Amino acid sequence: MIVAQDLHKSFKTPTGTVRAVEGVRFTARDGEITGLLGPNGAGKTTTLRMLYTLMKPDAGQVLVDGVDATRDPASVRGALGVLPDARGVYKRLTARENIAYFGELHGMSKQAIEARTRVLADALQMHDILDRRTEGFSQGQRTKTAIARALVHDPRNVILDEPTNGLDVMTTRAMRGFLQQLRAEGRCVIFSSHIMQEVAALCDRIVIIAKGQVVAAGTADELREQTGEANLEDAFVKAIGSEEGLHA
Amino acid sequence: MSAGSMKQSRPGMFATMWSVMRKELLDISRDRRTLALALLLGPLLYPVLMIGMGSLAESRARTQLDRTLEVPTVGMERAPNLVAFLATQGIRAVKAPDDVDAAIVRQEFDVALRISPGYANDWRNGKPALVEIVADTTRRDSEIPSARVRAALEGYGGQVGALRLLARGIDPSVVRAVSVGSRDLATEEAKRGLMLAAIMPYLLILMSFIGGAYLIMDATAGERERQSLEPLLATPASRGAIVSGKIAAACAMGLLSLLLTLVAFKLSAQMSTGVGRMLDVSFASIGRMLLILLPMVFIGTTLLTCLAAASKSLKEAQSHMTWLMLLPMIPTIALIVNPVKTQAWQFMVPFLAQNQMLLKVIRGEGIDMQTWGIYLGTGFAVAALLWFVAVRRYHQERLAISG
Repeated sequence: MIVAQDLHKSFKTPTGTVRAVEGVRFTARDGEITGLLGPNGAGKTTTLRMLYTLMKPDAGQVLVDGVDATRDPASVRGALGVLPDARGVYKRLTARENIAYFGELHGMSKQAIEARTRVLADALQMHDILDRRTEGFSQGQRTKTAIARALVHDPRNVILDEPTNGLDVMTTRAMRGFLQQLRAEGRCVIFSSHIMQEVAALCDRIVIIAKGQVVAAGTADELREQTGEANLEDAFVKAIGSEEGLHA
Repeated sequence: MSAGSMKQSRPGMFATMWSVMRKELLDISRDRRTLALALLLGPLLYPVLMIGMGSLAESRARTQLDRTLEVPTVGMERAPNLVAFLATQGIRAVKAPDDVDAAIVRQEFDVALRISPGYANDWRNGKPALVEIVADTTRRDSEIPSARVRAALEGYGGQVGALRLLARGIDPSVVRAVSVGSRDLATEEAKRGLMLAAIMPYLLILMSFIGGAYLIMDATAGERERQSLEPLLATPASRGAIVSGKIAAACAMGLLSLLLTLVAFKLSAQMSTGVGRMLDVSFASIGRMLLILLPMVFIGTTLLTCLAAASKSLKEAQSHMTWLMLLPMIPTIALIVNPVKTQAWQFMVPFLAQNQMLLKVIRGEGIDMQTWGIYLGTGFAVAALLWFVAVRRYHQERLAISG
C-alpha cells in the first residue's frame, strides 16, 4: 500500500520558482490499480518521483507499506518496482543482462534472478528478445525490458510512469493484460497516464491531478457522482477545467 | 508469480560496488573500438616516440655535424683567405642573396655571414675586422650550424692573431692570461635524452591521469544522458556504492592501460638505441613507477567523476578534457622555466610530485622511505577527498533528473 500525504514540491529555475506539486494526497491499496490521470505538466511525474524517493518532498509524507520514504528510502525502494518516465535500458547489454543487473542491485541470488527472469519473460512474452542486445529494440521491446527489470525483485508495490506511452495497439493491449495480472496477484499498482480512456478501462481508482493538485479522486462511479456528469469523459473535463488530454 | 514471496536481504556496500563495477566493465567491453583506443593508445605511442625521437635526434645531429655546411656570405670577395680557411673546416661560403636577413626569416638558410665593407682596410691596418654571423637563435635547427661557424671564425681569428704577435717577436701565449677549458661530463646520449626525459614523465602521468576517462564519463554523464540513471537510483543500491563501483571500474581500466603502457615503455627502451638504453627499466623500477602512478589513476578518475557528475551532457563532460590534458604539463613547464632543487613539499603537489618521483626512478636514484610516505600519503589523501566530493555529488537531487 502506498500513501501520499499532502505532498509539495517546487523547483528553482532561472525564471523563478515552479510549484510542480501543491498538496497531492491519495491512497493506493493492495490488489487495486490506481491511476494518476492529468494533462501533460500536471505534476504526475514529480509526484511519482517523490513516491520512489528520487525526490524529497518539500512538505508532506510518503508511506510505502507503512514505511516513511524520507526516513528509510532504501527499504522503500526495495519494496517498490519502478518504471520511470525515462526507460533508459543499457543498450550494449542484452535484455537478460539488464534484468540481472537490477536483480543483483536488489541483492538477489543468481538462481533467483534466473527463475524470476523466466516468469517475467512468460508474462511479458519476451522470450525471443531476452538474449539480444537492446540496441535497436523497438519502443515496445524497450518498455518490456524496462518493466521486467523493474519487477525482477517481485515487489509488492509497482509504480509505472506512462507505461503505454509510444506503444502500438497490440502491445498496449498486452500491457493492460499484464497490469491486470499484477492486480490479481494482490499487488498495489500505480500508473500514470494522460489518456482518459486508458485509465477508465483499467483503474479501480482514479486520481485526477491538474496544476499540481488533486482535483478529484475515487472510483469511476464516485467521480461521475462528484461532478454530476453521467459520462466519465465529461466528469474528467469538468474536474480539470479544460478539454486538454482527452484525445492525446 | 506471487507478490512478495521472495524476501531478499539488502545487498551490502561491497556487493553493490562489485555488481556496478562488473556491469560497467562488461558494458565498455562491448564497445570494441573505444576499448581498443583507450587501452592501446599509450602502449603504441611509447615505442613510436622513444624509437622515433631517439633516431631522429641522432640522425639530425650526425648530418649537421658531418655534412659540408653551405653558408651564404655577403661580401665573399673581400676576404678570400677567410673563405679558404672556412673551406678547410667543411664550411663552404656561397654567394648570398640580396637580402640575407629576409632569407633567414624565411628559413631558406640556417645561418649566414656578412663580411663588412671595411674588412680589407681594417685587416691591413691591424684593426679588428668585422664579420657578422646572421642566424635566428630561437630556431633549434640553427644551433649546430651557428656553433660550427662561430668556432671556425674564432679559430681563424686566433690563428691570425697569433701569427701577428709572432711577427712582432711576442709569444702569443702572453695574451692568454687564463686558459679556459671545459669538460662536459654529460654523455652525448644523455644530452639527447634530455628532451625525452622531460616529455616522458608527462606522458606517463597523462596516461594514468586520463586512462579511465572514457569509461567514467560514459558511466556518469553518459548514463545520465541516456536516461538510465533514474531507474538505477530507484533501486535500493546506495548512491555511494553506485558511484564507487563506477570509479572502481574506471580505475581498473586506467590501471590496465597504464600497465600496458609501462610494458611497452620497457620493451621500447630495450629495443631503442642510445637514450633508451640508459633508462632504468628493470622490473623493480617498472614496479616503482606503477606505484608512483597509482595515486594519479585514482586522482584522475575521481576528479573526472566530480566534473562529469556536474555536467549536463556527455559533450560538456568531454569539453573538460582540453584543460585536463594540460594540467600534468604545468610542473614540467615550470621546471624548465624555473628549475628547483628537490624539497619535501614537492612530493605533496599533485603532478609535480609524480614528475619528480618518476625522474628519480628513471635516473636510477634511490627514494627513501620518508619520501615514499609523504608522496603516497598525500596522493591517496587527495584521491580520497575527490572521491568524497564525487559521492556527495551523487546525492544531489537534480543529478538523476535528465533532460
